[in-house]
Amino acid sequence: MKILLILGMLLCYSFVSSSGDTTIHTNNWAVLVCTSRFWFNYRHMANTLSLYRTVKRLGIPDERIILMLADDMACNARNEYPAQVFNNENHKLNLYGDNVEVDYRGYEVTVENFLRVLTGRHENAVPRSKRLLSDEGSHILLYMTGHGGDEFLKFQDAEELQSHDLADAVKQMKEKRRFKELMIMVDTCQAATLFNQLQSPGVLAIGSSLKGENSYSHHLDSDIGVSVVDRFTYYTLAFFERLNIYDNASLNSLFRSYDPRLLMSTAYYRTDLYQPHLVEVPVTNFFGSVMETIHTDSAYKAFSSKISNSKSNPEMPLNQVSEHDANIPNDELKTEKQKCPYSQMRADLHKKLEKLENVDTVVNLSIAVMVVVVMVSSSLLR
Amino acid sequence: MAAVKRENEEEVKTDDGSPKIKPRPIVRLGIFLIAHSPIFSVVFSAAGVLALLLLPLLAKNTYISENALMPGSARSMLSNQDVSDGSKLVKDIKNFRLNHEGQGVEVQKLIGTYMSEMGAEVSYQKFHPEGNQFHPLHFFSGPDSYTLLENVSCASYGVNVAGIIRAPRGDGKESIVLVTPYDFINGGDYESLSLGIVSSLFSLLSRVTWLSKDIIWLVADSRYGDYRPVAAWLTEYHSPSFKVSDLLKCNELNTADNFRRAGTVAAALVLKVDGRSDRFEDTLSIYAEASNGQMPNLDLINVVNYLAVHRQGFYVKVEKVVSLLSSSWLKFFGEIFEAVGKLGHTLNPDWNFGIPAADYLEGSATLASSLYSQALGIPTGPHGAFRDYQVDAITLKVSPRFPPDSKTRQHEFFLRGARLLEGTIRSVNNLLEKFHQSFFLYLLTSPSKFISVGVYMIAFALLVAPLPMVAASLYIDGCKALTNSTHNPAENFKSWKWLDAAKQVFALHLLGFIVTLLPYFICQLPGQHSPRNRSIMWGTTSSSLLLITFVTIPGCSPFSSRLHRNNWAVLKSVTIAAAFIGLCLMSIINFATAEIGALLLVPTCLMAQPIKPALRSRSIKSLLGALCSLVLVTIGFPVMFFAISKGLLGEGLVGLSLGGEFWTWLESLWAWKSATYLYIGMIHLPCWLLCLCILFHPS
Repeated sequence: MKILLILGMLLCYSFVSSSGDTTIHTNNWAVLVCTSRFWFNYRHMANTLSLYRTVKRLGIPDERIILMLADDMACNARNEYPAQVFNNENHKLNLYGDNVEVDYRGYEVTVENFLRVLTGRHENAVPRSKRLLSDEGSHILLYMTGHGGDEFLKFQDAEELQSHDLADAVKQMKEKRRFKELMIMVDTCQAATLFNQLQSPGVLAIGSSLKGENSYSHHLDSDIGVSVVDRFTYYTLAFFERLNIYDNASLNSLFRSYDPRLLMSTAYYRTDLYQPHLVEVPVTNFFGSVMETIHTDSAYKAFSSKISNSKSNPEMPLNQVSEHDANIPNDELKTEKQKCPYSQMRADLHKKLEKLENVDTVVNLSIAVMVVVVMVSSSLLR
Repeated sequence: MAAVKRENEEEVKTDDGSPKIKPRPIVRLGIFLIAHSPIFSVVFSAAGVLALLLLPLLAKNTYISENALMPGSARSMLSNQDVSDGSKLVKDIKNFRLNHEGQGVEVQKLIGTYMSEMGAEVSYQKFHPEGNQFHPLHFFSGPDSYTLLENVSCASYGVNVAGIIRAPRGDGKESIVLVTPYDFINGGDYESLSLGIVSSLFSLLSRVTWLSKDIIWLVADSRYGDYRPVAAWLTEYHSPSFKVSDLLKCNELNTADNFRRAGTVAAALVLKVDGRSDRFEDTLSIYAEASNGQMPNLDLINVVNYLAVHRQGFYVKVEKVVSLLSSSWLKFFGEIFEAVGKLGHTLNPDWNFGIPAADYLEGSATLASSLYSQALGIPTGPHGAFRDYQVDAITLKVSPRFPPDSKTRQHEFFLRGARLLEGTIRSVNNLLEKFHQSFFLYLLTSPSKFISVGVYMIAFALLVAPLPMVAASLYIDGCKALTNSTHNPAENFKSWKWLDAAKQVFALHLLGFIVTLLPYFICQLPGQHSPRNRSIMWGTTSSSLLLITFVTIPGCSPFSSRLHRNNWAVLKSVTIAAAFIGLCLMSIINFATAEIGALLLVPTCLMAQPIKPALRSRSIKSLLGALCSLVLVTIGFPVMFFAISKGLLGEGLVGLSLGGEFWTWLESLWAWKSATYLYIGMIHLPCWLLCLCILFHPS
């Protein structure tokens, strides 16, 4: 009986979660990429590892973090502290401790592999641990650092990721329903230019510098003899060090924490594709793995209230930045719905469900019917 | 150009009926230049000389081009303990040498013990002092393998000591070499200080964890010169000989199967300490020129200069021609440039090309020294041996400001010297590939200023630009004159008129080639000869060869040319063409030689004209021209120029040419395989002889 009950609930749930923007946030993923090789780019690896540590601390489990490191500084012969990586000259925190799972390392970090991870087009042999197995309820944090320029990011000193490539990959992800919300954070020179071609809704982008600006390193570790962290990442980390998993700091407070004088560049964020108010979105939506918990009296009521919540979302006043582009994402969603017959059917069902005024009674009735059916069938079998 | 012009003329003639075809702009420009060649040649040559004088103004500040180097970003880890280790070695060597006399290898063994105590692999290498012998066929070949002579004597040989510190986590494929030349028999107190510095550093390096390249410390036995031991060690390092050398049996020190190697040499630093600094600070002189004007990558000099100036407070200098500092004409130029710079600055505040006259003088003196060292093609130190293996290397000569027996000062001096080397090594250690980012072709005007190839080539290009123009113009004139003078239609094939002149030019170049090879055969003559005798022998053979050439090849002699009385113009045209080709070829091999050669050869070739008509006409203009060409041809003679550059004139000159100083100089050139020797013999000398022929042409 119980199993049947759960089955029924699942059935109902799948109906609910089928439509695009009404999905609830189910899980968090992080893709952290360091794109540059060579000893003198130590700081890029330290940046990425610091972010890795932070998102892990805030609750994203290792299996949902894809960590790509283009070089191995910890084992570089020039490293005065073998098998250790530091992001501060006080050497208090070893970023390369016991629990670091690097998914793509060294020459595996290529533009091709990066795009494969984003779009999920892997060869069969690639293990699940190296795949981004996100779904349409996922919040993804994509962090990239390395050497960039006008609309490109250098990979491995040999190839480049262009802003078109990134935008195309994100669009594919959107169409394949691989994310609900995506936050792209880039710490390179001229980082803002990398976002120029992005069009997909649900994408929030932040870069360390505007076009024509350099991103600078924060400080030099004179024991190791290299710069160990970049300014943008340093102040991002400084912000997160004050937080724990239960904090409710908003994205807006993170974005406002960047001081151009300290950064020596202007942090740029692009919110026109992202609908929620930054003030209302906690940073843990991306940098942690904190699900929204809804306390309800009845398990079934929860779904309906959720539906009405998410339904009301689009009608909420949009924030100031995204004035002109506000309607575009909705239009796109509609066309998307018409394309896929399966989701169309499910959406129609969903609509019908909504039209019913007393959902609870319908559900109760249907369960009663199912109980009767089961009793009849079991008696027949006997 | 001339050929193109003729074609165009013919085309215009044949197409009389049709509308006249206009030649392309570049052709018209060529024709214009050739038609006004006298004016343009003066303008271009003057511009070339001016550009050369302007070079100190155009020098740019050096910068570290390679990202990976990061000089000075790491804190020095050298401790006082390391330095006292170094001081102890110096003291021990001094005491040992006071108590022991003789030729043994005890000092080497002492150093070896020190090295192995620090955890290094030690190896000893015996080498023979003789190595450089002129062989014409080996001129441009790589470094000699110094094939072991069968009957080597144990009377004279040197012993190098090398210690290798392996990088604890490195892949063992690369290494950095530190060289300290030290004369184990007669080495002075200052010389042993270099051992102290490197020993302090070695003590540090044996315990650091950041090495990615192995470190080799070579104590070169410099009793037979600095260069030879380093070259011998490098030969053994790169091309081991499998024959058992007789040297191995020479004394109790067994060096068989002992030689140790590390990976490819990424960079090398030669450290020498000599004499007391005449300034308040310790002085560091950087020597970089290797054979044939090859330079190490500029980044290496930049790193050393940056660390020495900004971290350790050395006074860094590069060689300069001191006599130029007091020359009034250069000062005059400097003041003019300064005034022009100031004027430019008032016109437009963005124009900051002016530099003070004093800076200009310094820059020019350094530039002149840089040009001279490169042109000579002889390495300025033991680092030259590394360049033969494409290793970037420089010699650092440090002069402390204290007398060698001052203990307290010595400690501080060791600390700073070793820190400079530590910083440089850590920087090179960071390299991922061999030096390639910065310049290889440059001239220095100060330790922190350089002129890149793109700038200094302009001066040379301007200087040689008149040659093809004048050659073309002379050829056209000569052809016209010939066509007028002869009525034989068979001789009116225009394209063959240069053949006689070319024959003469070719014969004289062949002669130059033979004269170039002569010293080799003179050296092979049995018996001992003084340089003076050898130079006389060389002189007489060369002159007799010249006479034979004039007699045997018709039309070659300036005195027997009765066939074509007017052909000096064509001869001059072909001579100039040959000089142009020679200079351009030389500029690729060694720019500095070509530049200095062009300064001599271009005016000589351009001014050369027969004296006889000038004497006959008796007009002041032609007489002046004749005098000019006479003077230029006199200066252009290699022996003469050598004498002038040495400041020996008058009585000294005769003694010099016979006394064999010139011979000794040439001997050193070929011993170092300098392309300048080939240039003098095969380009300069024939062109000079041809100018002489034109000068005494019976027209």
